Amino acid sequence: MKVKFLIVLSLAVVALMSACGKSDADLQKAVATKLAADNVTGVTATVKDGVATLTGEVADITVKNKAAASARTVEGIKSVTDNTTMRPVPTPVPAPADPMLQGKVEEDLKKAGCTGAIVTIASGTVTLTGTVPDAKYAECVKVVNESGAGKLDNKLVRGK
Amino acid sequence: MALQEKYQTLLELANQNGTSYELSEGDGVLHINGTAPSEEAKQQLWDEYNRIDPDYRGGDLMLNVSVGGAAAGGGGGHTYTVESGDNLSKIGEKYGVTWQQIYQANQDILKDPDKIFPGQELKIPGA
Repeated sequence: MKVKFLIVLSLAVVALMSACGKSDADLQKAVATKLAADNVTGVTATVKDGVATLTGEVADITVKNKAAASARTVEGIKSVTDNTTMRPVPTPVPAPADPMLQGKVEEDLKKAGCTGAIVTIASGTVTLTGTVPDAKYAECVKVVNESGAGKLDNKLVRGK
Repeated sequence: MALQEKYQTLLELANQNGTSYELSEGDGVLHINGTAPSEEAKQQLWDEYNRIDPDYRGGDLMLNVSVGGAAAGGGGGHTYTVESGDNLSKIGEKYGVTWQQIYQANQDILKDPDKIFPGQELKIPGA
């Protein structure tokens, strides 16, 4: 019981001490300034009892991460509740028609020296099979990634 | 949104090394289309991709990053001479690229994306 009392007491002291620090309004201003300095846009911070709550819609996960990390670095902020949402991303540009895509991928693979790669395409999804020289493996995958295909089902085997 | 989480270090890296990108997502695949400032920057992204997904077997990412700017070496880019009244967004619209992509490709001559001057020759990255 004594231990429990001591814990409660020390918590109370900590709470009291932090209450003597900056006010929530000051902290809120500091967080806003920090977010702006770090080029985080679209995020609003409110601070209550030293806890910063972030809201708003951000472009992608990197902005979300950055916002939370920035807020955390502000002195006096005890914790950060991240309620930001990520803007829905659009659907990709449709892949070229299969025969066209097939022609392009095969030609680009040939140019890249990916002999041995076999291309089959269905509804914009490229399936790569066969064995390609080990040194060319990454390049062959790159070619398909940069072809405008919707998806890559990579079953390539590394040869010698 | 889980895909953005899976590849978040890749996206962070793109931000760090000056690659401008746009995301799209469909059919369980995250598409990252972008322009890297150099071959080296592009390779960094591919190295990170390979770290997250060794041998690129996951089938849930399409990483389509071209190299913009001078390093492109005829990769479909153009040169545009700035006229009075132009801004990067307006120029971008003409070529179907974002102002960010033009800015990234011309960071050697542009300090501020809002300040361009008639007569300046801008590299337009391939759309």
